[in-house]
Amino acid sequence: MLNFITPIMDTKEYSEIKISEIEPILKINLRGKSRDFITKIGKELSIITPVDPNTSSSNEKLSLLWLSPDEWFLYSNDKIHIKNENFLEDKLFKEISKVKLGSVTNVSDHWIMINLTGTKVYELLSTGCPFNFNNFKNSKGAVVQTLINHIDVIIHNKNVNDLNLFVRRSFSEHLWSWMNDSARFI
Amino acid sequence: MFLINCPYCGERDQSEFSSGGEAHIVRPKQPTELSDDQWAEYLFMRKNIKGVQFERWNHTHGCRKWFNVVRDTSNDIIHAVYKMGEKPPVK
Amino acid sequence: MSKNLRTTNNKFIDQTSRISFKFDGKKLYGFKGDTLASALLANNIHLVGRSFKYHRPRGIMTCGSEEPNAILQVGNDPSMTEPNTRATEIEIYEGLEASSQNCWPSVNFDLGAVNNFFSPLIPAAFYYKTFMWPANFWKLYEYFIRKSAGLGKSPTEPDKDIYDQRYLHCDVLIVGGGISGIMAAKTAAKNNLNTVLIDDKNTLGGTTIFQENECYKINNLYSNKWLKKEIETLKSFKNLTIKTRTSLAAYHNYNYLLARENLTDHLDLNEKKDKIRQRLWKIRSKKVIIATGAMERPLIFNNNDRPGIILSSSIKKYIDYYGVKCGQKVSLFTNNDSAYETAISLNNSGVTVNSIVDIRDKTNSLIVKEVDKLGIKIHWKSSVVNTNGYKKINSIEIMKLSDDGAAVVGKKIKVECDCLGISGGWTPRVHLFTQSGGKLKFRIEDNVFLPDKSKLDQISIGSCNGDFELDEVIKNSVYLTNKFLEINNNDYENLEIISSKEINKKNIWLLPSDKPLGKTKPFLDFQNDSTANDIKLALREGFKSIEHVKRYTTTGMATDQGKLSNMHALGIIAETAGVKMGELGTTTFRPPYTPLTFGAIVGRNVGKFFDITRKTPMHDWHVENKAKFENVGQWKRAWYYPKDNENMYEAVQRESKAARDSSGILDASTLGKIDIQGSDASEFLNRVYTNAWSKLEIGKCRYGLMLNEDGMVYDDGVTTRLSENHYLMTTTTGGAANVLSKLEDYLQTEWPELDVYLTSVTDHYGTVSICGPNSKKILSKVIPDLVLSDEEFPHMSFKNALIDNIKCRVMRISFTGELSYEINIQSSYVKSVWEKCIDAGKEFDITPYGTETMHLLRAEKGFIITGQDTDGTMTPVDLQMDWIISKKKYDFIGKRSLYRSDTIREDRKQLVGLLTEDPKEILEEGAQIVAETNKKPIEMIGHVTSSYFSPNLNKSIALAVVKNGKKLKGQKMFVPMKDKTINVTITDTVFLDKENKRLNA
Repeated sequence: MLNFITPIMDTKEYSEIKISEIEPILKINLRGKSRDFITKIGKELSIITPVDPNTSSSNEKLSLLWLSPDEWFLYSNDKIHIKNENFLEDKLFKEISKVKLGSVTNVSDHWIMINLTGTKVYELLSTGCPFNFNNFKNSKGAVVQTLINHIDVIIHNKNVNDLNLFVRRSFSEHLWSWMNDSARFI
Repeated sequence: MFLINCPYCGERDQSEFSSGGEAHIVRPKQPTELSDDQWAEYLFMRKNIKGVQFERWNHTHGCRKWFNVVRDTSNDIIHAVYKMGEKPPVK
Repeated sequence: MSKNLRTTNNKFIDQTSRISFKFDGKKLYGFKGDTLASALLANNIHLVGRSFKYHRPRGIMTCGSEEPNAILQVGNDPSMTEPNTRATEIEIYEGLEASSQNCWPSVNFDLGAVNNFFSPLIPAAFYYKTFMWPANFWKLYEYFIRKSAGLGKSPTEPDKDIYDQRYLHCDVLIVGGGISGIMAAKTAAKNNLNTVLIDDKNTLGGTTIFQENECYKINNLYSNKWLKKEIETLKSFKNLTIKTRTSLAAYHNYNYLLARENLTDHLDLNEKKDKIRQRLWKIRSKKVIIATGAMERPLIFNNNDRPGIILSSSIKKYIDYYGVKCGQKVSLFTNNDSAYETAISLNNSGVTVNSIVDIRDKTNSLIVKEVDKLGIKIHWKSSVVNTNGYKKINSIEIMKLSDDGAAVVGKKIKVECDCLGISGGWTPRVHLFTQSGGKLKFRIEDNVFLPDKSKLDQISIGSCNGDFELDEVIKNSVYLTNKFLEINNNDYENLEIISSKEINKKNIWLLPSDKPLGKTKPFLDFQNDSTANDIKLALREGFKSIEHVKRYTTTGMATDQGKLSNMHALGIIAETAGVKMGELGTTTFRPPYTPLTFGAIVGRNVGKFFDITRKTPMHDWHVENKAKFENVGQWKRAWYYPKDNENMYEAVQRESKAARDSSGILDASTLGKIDIQGSDASEFLNRVYTNAWSKLEIGKCRYGLMLNEDGMVYDDGVTTRLSENHYLMTTTTGGAANVLSKLEDYLQTEWPELDVYLTSVTDHYGTVSICGPNSKKILSKVIPDLVLSDEEFPHMSFKNALIDNIKCRVMRISFTGELSYEINIQSSYVKSVWEKCIDAGKEFDITPYGTETMHLLRAEKGFIITGQDTDGTMTPVDLQMDWIISKKKYDFIGKRSLYRSDTIREDRKQLVGLLTEDPKEILEEGAQIVAETNKKPIEMIGHVTSSYFSPNLNKSIALAVVKNGKKLKGQKMFVPMKDKTINVTITDTVFLDKENKRLNA
């Protein structure tokens, strides 16, 4: 058997902040422009495709994040086994890419998911992120793509003071140690 | 550091964007039929205005969409933002 | 501490907690809450430094950021010492050590002071004029000038302190916590606006908070008592953030502001440990209210720089706030009413005020009458013409002013004093307003520049907006704040305000003396030691623009940026040149308002956080196997793996040999990977690459070259057709992000009709590259099910496969010229696959190799590296890669540029191979190539781009770009080096296996 290895595999706790890497998580990038594409993904995933900027929708198993007018980011709410991952990816690829409705790309290992919880998570983000979280904070389901310490991230507001942050795998160790360093001073 | 109102994502910090130079320079459909001078006009010539300038910007660290910006280069005031393919606003 | 210099009725300093500190090696005491300046004054120490040019003794002159003299070195640890620190701004703490800067050997006996006696010989721009000739002597001059002008010592070791940064977004930012700032903050907060109030002091309230005077009352309370109650009410607002010890450094466009918060500077040494010292706040505020107040001006008269001459409002703050007497016998010299407030404060604390010299005719404002009642002698319509006392003032000389104020008349009166308070009126602090791009207007009545027009959502209120009387400050601040925030707060309506009104105003920029101007020393810029005479000299020499005069005389160019001196400089220029001040304009105020530490600017981006690092999924394996790393962009890539005590050369020779003799293994995960889907994917590739893509079969790979529209090579890589409308493109490691962005640009703007979608999968896949004659055998052990025959799996094709049930893609492509396979698999499994390959390869002595060996191997084959052999000026034709340009395609990016008059020139620099006459001689990359060495100047015709010693060929090889190189094959050239000239021959770029036999070995 091949070993499954993620860069961080750790959880750290500070006063009122908890940071943990959560993997394996299924992640799929979806791109398309047509109405058919939008209806199709909604149907295939039993989810309402979010068309408003910076929003998301979720069902029991999956969350679907708006990234741009023709791009969405799908991820599993729970850890998911590799075989199921292939199944969903294959199904979407067949129903969307094969029929020229858009593109379906597995990005499970392109991104690393870090969960941030606690009443001071926004203070932690403010150490390196120019984005104004004042409204985001209070909008469950809100999504933002921005920079933390010059590193691209996608942040999903799951719940009050409960965020999932996605960072490209090769940057993840650096961002992780940077956030842990900042958390010491909050 | 200014703020740019991305036509897709809303107002964001300048650090999320990158500039793509002057807007509304259309790539010739039949480059092979152009003279050296005509091709050079497309390739090299830019206005570089002090004042109101039409520019292309990319929300590189956000939605990755390109769009147009009407910016006064003398004070960085952005007068308008509009999507690719849309008509520039009349002054 | 001299007991008789402290009052006991003080509310701001904790006189129960004594603190010891050192100044110039001497142990002294102060109290908690003291600034270094107030503590020194309480110890009767005025003399703290020597002036810049003449080394004149200088004393503490102010109580704030405009301090020009008390600029000290703090700390003596080589990593923590900080030069140019204002004694008026730092709070003392147990163990503080400070010393004077610009003096040698000591502040009390300074050898440089001889300059003072030679001062007629050191006019404006003396250094510029004297040390110009001979030009090559400058090095020598500079050494001595720097030594004698030394502005403190830089730390010699890395800073141990910790700094960080925070972003902050708010509705309203109020800069300045004086009376108008407090009222504005309350108004904003009460209306549910997300409000931030910052102040650079440790206590809110500005100067009003210690204004306990019968002449200034609000609702029958002393103004300080009233304001204290207001400050109390601020605590109840949850949406109001108050930051003290936070000074605004810069005000940029779009209401983007930088503020530095001092978190531990005031704490004892042991309390500072492991805490953030300073935090830089990056603030975005929808609206900004500037309430930064005003600063007092000095007066410009003969010998106005002696220790003991202090701004009158500062004397007042020292007595009222810190409980420190600046002297026992004080004289005051003024052109306005504010010195009278100081007189009352001093008198209340039992300090003798023996005279007030006022340049105005007798006036009868409320406060002047109060002072009159105290029986203090006032010399109306008079001026101080001279001061005496070398290290501390001991007397002043007073004369009557003529009616026009241009001369002094009558008898000279000498008055003894140990301190002279001076007040030349008030300058609104408009620095932040102008930093933000605001334009100023000039008010003639009291010679002030005031905020006028701004493009930003901001206002100025209080005395920074030109309101100096208490009732006007309140009335106008309330009105402006309400209007600005579009709310109607009536808390401050119908306040009963008592406020003394100034009736009589008069100003003389340069006060006359009984001596001719040339024999006097009226200092303007105390820190840079320029006098009114220097300004006049500059004007006589023909300088007209204020910006030129400033630079020529260095007035206003010291670390205080002319906070004290600028107004007088302008006034004197205007007067001398006969121009109106409003028309003269001002010099530009640039950020930072007060100096910022480098620590605050870089924040936590130091040490391991200095730059972002990206790691491949096999990174830990490389570390465990002692790899040396190379930075490629932000990536850390394995460079070479030294065995035993190998150096880089030895390791690379071994690795290169092994890769061709048996097998090598490379981590190629950093290559950019773009997933391309859509019905127009093939057409898209046709347009972005120079070669044709439509006929590429499914399952096949092809090398592509990407140009810019100018025809120059931009990037290259192998793209694989995975299915009908599905490709995987690879890019160079460094080019990945730019290529994706460029391709998105074309899709979104030029070719929106194409049905193509791009998704970066660079980090999703890790890549293991195995090469060498034994690579097939190794791969067959790792993936036994895969058929590897050349028929089934030929060069430039790919196969889907499974390793332990995990999907992967195997590409048979080669960057080394050897038989070679690349396994692409999800990053989480790739380390495991890598280890599997190493295990399987053990019997073949599989050798991990790094980027250096990769570079050597591809150079043996003449393969280019974009960015190393190209530099944005090379076309494919220049690279002798004509074969990759499709003749059939109507268009692709850069095609038209390939036959511009410049790109078809035959004498362009072209890529060639180079062999050295001595096969052991290795050329230096970047070395210049010449055709003949006799002709001077020698014409450079090219340079070396890649150079290695090839262990497989047992000779040195190099790639180079040479003018007209294609036609020069076989010609001898020269590479002149520092100690020798190397003979080389131009060759073909392919050094090894020209027939490509090894690919199918």
